[in-house]
Amino acid sequence: MVTPEMVKGYIVAGLPCELIEVEGDGQHFYATIVSGEFRGLNMVKQQQKVFAVLGDRMKAEIHALSMKTYTPERWAETNS
Amino acid sequence: MSRDVQKEIQDLVSNNRVVLFMKGTPQFPQCGFSSAATQMLKSAGCNEFASVNVLADNDIREGVKAFANWPTIPQLYVDGEFVGGADIMRELAQSGELQTMISKPN
Repeated sequence: MVTPEMVKGYIVAGLPCELIEVEGDGQHFYATIVSGEFRGLNMVKQQQKVFAVLGDRMKAEIHALSMKTYTPERWAETNS
Repeated sequence: MSRDVQKEIQDLVSNNRVVLFMKGTPQFPQCGFSSAATQMLKSAGCNEFASVNVLADNDIREGVKAFANWPTIPQLYVDGEFVGGADIMRELAQSGELQTMISKPN
């Protein structure tokens, strides 16, 4: 079974993250991701970047991944 | 003779202002995310939208993932453009942008 830790590992292997938290039950996962790579991208493109890193794992291992994506700047604003 | 699924999807999103690709139907959604997407559209004042049940058509199910380069269902399209999945719909609904997008006159 896929664990949230594994999903986290898959993502950080392909995307430099300043912060990443993943929770889940083995099929459905919830991730909060802060990355400088998201700068200048809209929400669709930010999430497509994460999906691109996960590639075929989204077809097989992971049934659903719910994401909140932030640039470091937006994350700082949201949490100030 | 093979089916041109990408063209079928393009026709669907071109010919319908609001299209939701989902698991199940708006009346009987078969996945929590598809159910939430349906509710968000209704809350945004969109009572009539085209819905496509991907569980009934595996070619469309796989085809729509390639179409938007987006690996999950549901997927929302407005005015021929891919808007996003359930998470993005939620953010847009909370900020009011979803209502604006849907109510805007052509």
